[in-house]
Amino acid sequence: MELYAILKLIWAALLCVLFIGLGLMVGMDMGVGTLLRFVGRNDGERRTALNIIGPHWDGNQVWFILGGGAIFAAFPTLYATSFSVFYVVMILLLFSMILRPVAFEYRSKADSKLWRASWDWVFLISGFLPMFIYGAAFGNILEGVGYHFGWNGQYYQDSSFFSYLLNPFVILCGLMSVSLSVYQGGVMLMIRSEDPIYGRARTYAQRGGILAIILFAVGGLFISRMKGFVLTAPVDPAMPANPLHGQEVAQIAGAWLHNYAVHPALWLLPVLGFACMVLGVLAVRAHNGGLAWWVGLGSWIGTIGTVGAAMFPFLMPSTTAPNQSLTIWNSTASAYGLSCMLVVALIFVPLILCYTSWCYYVMRGKVRTADIIHDSHSY
Amino acid sequence: MDIINPTVVDLSRFQFALTALYHFMFVPLTLGLTFMLAAMETVYVVTGRKIYKEMAQFWGKLFGINFAIGVATGLTMEFEFGTNWSMYSRFFGDMFGTPLAIEGLMAFFMESTFVGLMFFGWDRLSKQAHLAITYLVALGSNLSALWILIANASMNVPEGGHFDPETMRMQFDSFVHVIFNPDAQSKFVHTSVAGYVSAALFVMGISAFYLLRGQHKQFAARSFRMAALFGIISTVAVITLGDVLGRMDYEKQPTKIAAIEGLWHTSKPPYEPWILAALPDDAKQENHFEIGVPFVLTPLIAHDFNTPITGLHELEDAAGPRIQSGIEAVSALRRYGETHQQADLDIFRAHEEDMGYGFLATRHAPNQDVTNISAEALPKVIEETKPDILPNVFVTFWAFRLMVFLALYFFALFAISSYVSLKNKLERNKLLLRLCLWSIPLPILATEFGWITAEAGRQPWTVFNKLPTFLSSSTHSVSYMVFSLAGFTLLYSIFIAAELYLMFKFARLGPEAHDAPHDDATQHPHLTAVSSTPSAAH
Amino acid sequence: MSLFRMAGLAIVLVVSLLFAVFVGDQGPWYFAWVIGTVMIILISGAGAILLDSQLDSSPDNEV
Repeated sequence: MELYAILKLIWAALLCVLFIGLGLMVGMDMGVGTLLRFVGRNDGERRTALNIIGPHWDGNQVWFILGGGAIFAAFPTLYATSFSVFYVVMILLLFSMILRPVAFEYRSKADSKLWRASWDWVFLISGFLPMFIYGAAFGNILEGVGYHFGWNGQYYQDSSFFSYLLNPFVILCGLMSVSLSVYQGGVMLMIRSEDPIYGRARTYAQRGGILAIILFAVGGLFISRMKGFVLTAPVDPAMPANPLHGQEVAQIAGAWLHNYAVHPALWLLPVLGFACMVLGVLAVRAHNGGLAWWVGLGSWIGTIGTVGAAMFPFLMPSTTAPNQSLTIWNSTASAYGLSCMLVVALIFVPLILCYTSWCYYVMRGKVRTADIIHDSHSY
Repeated sequence: MDIINPTVVDLSRFQFALTALYHFMFVPLTLGLTFMLAAMETVYVVTGRKIYKEMAQFWGKLFGINFAIGVATGLTMEFEFGTNWSMYSRFFGDMFGTPLAIEGLMAFFMESTFVGLMFFGWDRLSKQAHLAITYLVALGSNLSALWILIANASMNVPEGGHFDPETMRMQFDSFVHVIFNPDAQSKFVHTSVAGYVSAALFVMGISAFYLLRGQHKQFAARSFRMAALFGIISTVAVITLGDVLGRMDYEKQPTKIAAIEGLWHTSKPPYEPWILAALPDDAKQENHFEIGVPFVLTPLIAHDFNTPITGLHELEDAAGPRIQSGIEAVSALRRYGETHQQADLDIFRAHEEDMGYGFLATRHAPNQDVTNISAEALPKVIEETKPDILPNVFVTFWAFRLMVFLALYFFALFAISSYVSLKNKLERNKLLLRLCLWSIPLPILATEFGWITAEAGRQPWTVFNKLPTFLSSSTHSVSYMVFSLAGFTLLYSIFIAAELYLMFKFARLGPEAHDAPHDDATQHPHLTAVSSTPSAAH
Repeated sequence: MSLFRMAGLAIVLVVSLLFAVFVGDQGPWYFAWVIGTVMIILISGAGAILLDSQLDSSPDNEV
């Protein structure tokens, strides 16, 4: 296999890792945001919940920013096309993402009741909406999107955004990702809080986990019957990254199960997802927050892995011009760009993991309401 | 037929300018204030005097209020390349995305992870460890600016890449050229140091406010002294680097430098005046009146006395043949993309350098299609395209001048402030203190003018000489733009109101809001005497 | 312990030298930024320490 094809594969794998990291870390903060009004019944409790992720939300949010940056750098055509195809949804996502940092920093800096109550609603919206859109985007991509390219690579949109937003499967995917984030957020609150927050968080984590199991199963049924996409002629994986020519694609019902039929070992991914979600719910019931947190990672690997394995090598198939569908072979950056990025990632990702863990270590321990109120640095 | 809607392009440009200028109201303060916090904390660690810790904490609190919006609005920029400039992102993403992603990996992660520890870790870390964290935050935010400006520089001076007809985009081929792009170097230092100036004036102005009120004297005098010295050196650096940047533009972007100087006709050295003020008229292509200083322009730009500087008319005339050649390049490229004939590739290679000018003619070609222009229509298309190569002279000219006048004012203000502070005569100079207080927003204004000079001066290109702006945008409908613009206007108005409210609240409250005990008060009795009085004031 | 510290300092020294040689050659302005920023911090810090000693020695406490 040529080096360029291997680089494309590596970056597709890294993209999956980023999506998993994003789902886990950002999802956790979003879950805490969604749950904020429910686990905290008064101002002191809410501040406690906020300060549990207070020192880390900013770092976690970078997973999100890095996700965008990595798609831009490694899959420029995908970045250019997907962000503008989903314009309205992306702008909504952006609005909720830019409200969050401000909400964290500003909520507890003024005493007015109205001020704090407003920001608490902002936390709910900016926790729920992004995770919903994150999941819904996967749903849309699985169903295919309407676009085509002009001769010079200018992209043109063929269907309006309403057709992407409102259909049962997409809503199901959105809720699936919200329930995983609620689970993870609840578990994080369990680890670092005491009663009464602890007890409430435990209840919501359980509910989130159970809902995720159900939605994952129903979603699987949908995917097995959906009109998926397949390559009808072999392509050269090392081809120049240009979606304008070089592939033939057909849209067939049940095609997303094609990869699973060829490689039965892939069934391990959905199994891993299910096993981790079930184990997670049991761990929460058994008051084992630490185990539940790490099992949450497994749930994300299982979910994203299942979708990735079904779609490979497609990234964003087109319903109106299937031959111009974006795949990992035709929408990456140049070989030189991918290699540079790989070297940089190999240096910095381990470094990031080290210092992020160190930060969690420094800020370890339970957060108590009494400490928050007397600490002028806290949120 | 796939046609580009000029209204969508204009609205996209308006939205990008709005969000970028808004983002850049907060960034300079972050760039500079982090290093000022580091400086204050360094003095704390070296001398052990508690007051410097209080300074780091108080200014850190104001930094936090500002930082949150800086981070939030930065996200907008990352999204907009994809949502609004999809053709640009596809065409240039290989070169532009890489520095952006490295920014995330190398700088933004570091800054964002450690900023949490900087705020929350005071009691959990040793003095030295916390100081190291503060330095890492400062370094992270400036490295972040570095990578963004490297990306921006590759739009202004596209080096380290080439156009590839197989993939119809610019491809990255030299990392070293991208990083050490001369535009990136001077622009980074210029911008980072402009951030230092903003932060210095911010700290100096608020300290002046306390001194005017006779509050927190010890605290304010130290903050003022540090800020004044920080500011004076930074201002000298910002002016030096501005000159370097101008000289670089003169070599790489002659249209930008001619527009900055309002130079319609090639200059006549050595007499040619440097225009202080004028009213450039873009429609008539002339200046309505001019006040200039003779003999200054040539040495200012070319650093000698006999090099003529090409004027806008001459640049426009020189573009004619390039447009014609560009149209041939684009036509050959299209044929090659569809049929892959070697002959078409050869024609493209012969005219490759002018490809961007061919794209530029798209707007004036029948049906926006340069590949199908009849022989009779060609001269007309070329004539109509020629004026398009010039940026808006009025905007570029005045944005540049206002920036320069402000920089000279800062130089004077910091110089006087440093002198008065070193002489310990601040309290006697109420006028100077008031001037400092009222000048707080000016550096922000100056950096905004800097952005306008650089980006308006780059027009009509997104990637200089390669891809025109109006071809770069996404192709969605006007209603999408109305939706997003309405949302940004609403959200950003709320943000600025909330930010100003909190800034004023905490600035008025002053440092005593931190109930840190003065543990070294026994060694310096006068500190207790002074700092205990103002807390009675509120 | 002191050997450990010496080794650490030596590494920092070598890295700074390499940085100075390479970046000073390829990107003089980047190098200038590093030196300049350090200088700005040191000078403003020195200004503050000078203020401390001015105030400690002057009886009337004017700032």
